[in-house]
Amino acid sequence: MTTLPTDASLAAPAQTASPAKKKPRLIGTTSWYVVALFICAVMIVPLLWMITIGLKSRTAVFDIPPKLLPHEWTWSNFIEGPKAIHFPRLLLNSFIITGLSVIGGVLTAMMAGYALARLRFPGRKVWFYLFVGSMLLPGVVGLIPLFQLYKSIGWYDTWLPLIVPAFLGGNPLFIFLARQYFLAIPYSIDEAAKIDGAGHLRIFVSVMLPLTRPAWLTMAILAFQASWNDYLNPLVYLYSSGKWPLSVGMASFVSPFAGKTPDWSYYMATNLLYMLPPLIIFFAAQRYFIQGLGALGSTNQK
Amino acid sequence: MSRNAGSDVKAAYLFIAPAMIGFFVFVGYPLIRSFYLALTKYNGLTDPVFVGFGNFRRLFTTDPAFWPALRATGYLVLLYVPLSLILGLALAMFCNQRFAGVRVVRTLAYLPVVLPAVATITLWKFILDPQVGLLNTILDRLGLPTSLWLQSPNMSMPSVVLVMLWGVGGTMIIFLAALQAVPTELYEAAKVDGASSWSVFFRITMPMISPIMLLQVILQTTAALQTFNQPKILTNGGPGFSTKVLMLSIYENGFPTLGRIPQLGYASAQVWVLFVIIIAVIALTAKFSSLWTYSDNTPD
Repeated sequence: MTTLPTDASLAAPAQTASPAKKKPRLIGTTSWYVVALFICAVMIVPLLWMITIGLKSRTAVFDIPPKLLPHEWTWSNFIEGPKAIHFPRLLLNSFIITGLSVIGGVLTAMMAGYALARLRFPGRKVWFYLFVGSMLLPGVVGLIPLFQLYKSIGWYDTWLPLIVPAFLGGNPLFIFLARQYFLAIPYSIDEAAKIDGAGHLRIFVSVMLPLTRPAWLTMAILAFQASWNDYLNPLVYLYSSGKWPLSVGMASFVSPFAGKTPDWSYYMATNLLYMLPPLIIFFAAQRYFIQGLGALGSTNQK
Repeated sequence: MSRNAGSDVKAAYLFIAPAMIGFFVFVGYPLIRSFYLALTKYNGLTDPVFVGFGNFRRLFTTDPAFWPALRATGYLVLLYVPLSLILGLALAMFCNQRFAGVRVVRTLAYLPVVLPAVATITLWKFILDPQVGLLNTILDRLGLPTSLWLQSPNMSMPSVVLVMLWGVGGTMIIFLAALQAVPTELYEAAKVDGASSWSVFFRITMPMISPIMLLQVILQTTAALQTFNQPKILTNGGPGFSTKVLMLSIYENGFPTLGRIPQLGYASAQVWVLFVIIIAVIALTAKFSSLWTYSDNTPD
């Protein structure tokens, strides 16, 4: 495991920096870093292993005992692998389904959060509790009735069951998050906007959305991942392989029903491409992630 | 003033309308409909035939696959939830320390959570391969015993749980947020009093994060009871019935892939068994929570 150069280089200055702190430690600094390194290795080695398989020839994958590095670097796996499952098609499908889900999920949750936090209307509390309560409702209850419902209105084998729910406040957690953020904004801002003659739509779009950027960015990231990573729903609703998103396509690569040995090197090379969008977003938006999820961890209820 | 309030109400209902419709369609309707279906024989093509509690009777008495499914689900929950909470908390406490590189550890620990389930689970399927997989290779080089992992009826469920635990960063991040919310004065006071690490942990940390712990127990158990992706992709329920959890059984009855007739009523009955178990777990956890959770704000 000659990996983790970033970690090692980051760890080095700590040796000199840590004695400055007077914090008592259960274990010494060295064992501290052994643990840290172990954690990093457990998380990163499987991914590096994936990349090396993606670079091995199709037969070298089955060498016994397996070699850690490919002796023949087969870059063509990154071309041939994606070809084998019509990757560009599935990628486009995934982008359309995910893109629309993100827009719908974030927009309707923000709208509901705005109404719940900043407008007075009869039943406000009741709706809040209904939404929060529905977070506990297990998804499995909807599985069969919704499948039947979609089938009866001709939505089976279309993307609609994967997209339309997002436009109907699909994720109650998002509504809850949005409301929490809206509660933290001073009410004098709306009043000032109202005096200037702005309606609610105007206030929502030009005042509130810019002020709540961390909230909806967090939601957008979470919604992206949820949709990009979803496997069960597309598996249930999409029959035609031409309509599949990447999740179903990737699983079909190594399906137990295929009855033949999967092409692991093709699979792993393609898998890396499938992982890339969420990976890029994660590293680009880490800051928001920790902030946004931090709000989930706090217990303040108001 | 009153005109203003009226426009508020109108605007509010316009803003919240999509979510309200969503609530009726995705919460209200499925609840009622799935309960009705659970009491019928229904193949999805012809009309449902009312059979009362016949589905449930069949589940508990004649179905050879149901008790194994319950057993597998229980085994998974009992193995996964405690391990995930302990590892998640330990990881969070480790990452809550200040040392150079802690952000790297935190980021890497959270990384598997972001990656698509299908991608990581299939990767692990290969890692757990007895002959050419990474895990056995490493164990072998270290002189440790190897295993058949997913292919062994005894090890298949622990292997599934192992794969699930790779995503423990999700638990960690919530605990980390909770730990960071603990007022530092408490720790400083304990230090002045010369408290030991263990007593700081049990008398300050644990009580202060107990509400989050409660939430985590409920959410993790609820999620674990509905585990589908890992057993579906890793083993498809095998070998034997060893990893055929309830969700997989529901899926197979409700959405058959091998040309069998769907038994939607029967699958709905299974859904309701699972639903009742989930409600019971939530109710029990909440009921007994007052014994071990700490709260400093009185409810209003």
